[in-house]
Amino acid sequence: MKKTVLLSLLAAALPFVVGGCASAHYVQTGGRESVVTVGQINIQDYIQAANAATSDLLASGTLDKVATPPAVLAISRIINNTGQQIDTDLLTKKIRVALLNSGKAQTTTTLGLGGTAEDPMAKGLQQENEFANDQKNTRKPDFTLSGKIIETTAKSGNTSQSTYSFQLSLTDAKTGLAVWEGEKEITKQGTRSAVGF
Amino acid sequence: MKTRIVLPLAGVVLLVLCGCRTSVNSIENTQKEGQRQMISDSRVITDGSLAHKVSFVGVNQTLTPGGLLKIQIELLNRKRSLQRFSYQFEWFDASGMQVNNVVSPTVPDQIEGGESKFISSVAPTAACKDFRVKFIEN
Repeated sequence: MKKTVLLSLLAAALPFVVGGCASAHYVQTGGRESVVTVGQINIQDYIQAANAATSDLLASGTLDKVATPPAVLAISRIINNTGQQIDTDLLTKKIRVALLNSGKAQTTTTLGLGGTAEDPMAKGLQQENEFANDQKNTRKPDFTLSGKIIETTAKSGNTSQSTYSFQLSLTDAKTGLAVWEGEKEITKQGTRSAVGF
Repeated sequence: MKTRIVLPLAGVVLLVLCGCRTSVNSIENTQKEGQRQMISDSRVITDGSLAHKVSFVGVNQTLTPGGLLKIQIELLNRKRSLQRFSYQFEWFDASGMQVNNVVSPTVPDQIEGGESKFISSVAPTAACKDFRVKFIEN
């Protein structure tokens, strides 16, 4: 009798336990609860790299040296030298937003790599305005931002290690010289199947 | 018989403890050229364990060439073993309102035993006048 009651109680509790474990929940993006994987660039890695680059760039005072602030920035090529397919906007967009919010730089969306505008409609309107007013009033970029993301892996026994290097260069568009360069390296280590938090 | 088991066990425990405990020696110039502008700080300790292991030595600030506030905090690991923690900077304007920052990460960090370490951050805008840094043990 006792056994049946106990089993019934256990059976009733089981769905709650299983349901509790399987529940999905929100976590803070880039926070401590974020999933950490060794062989992948996680969102917190992009946030950290963008933060390091922005802080370093703002602290350098390079953007304050333009004749008419805020500086105008054009985004050049960010090379992905990792083994994974990534969208480099995850890095550059954060830097752009932070720089715009700082009031130190603005990014052009009508001038892109190979003549491709990020915002074709804005480029069209800009050209239309220039034609109507018969004068060029487009401000040329003061700087271009280029970079590379490199992955270095190492393995010893069951332990895997990945290092992601986020390299960025700010080039003076007039002289072609890199006036600021930054590098942030993020190294993660774990056993093959481990997922950290 | 008991001794045969206890002695090797004690040896293993000692080895493990010695392996985990390494602390940092350092050397620096006595006559400092740079002068740190130390500021007074308020501390709220809710995790006594972390505060006991990794303590705040002091906070100093400066302005970047562009007029942004830069904060540097000196930490000291009071233990002889490596400690892991995360920190996050928050910035506030002259009205005490928090300034949103898209790149304000929770930064995972570590400090070696006996090591003194600096962490720093630059304010996201010139409007930022105050700051707060949160620490949590990993």
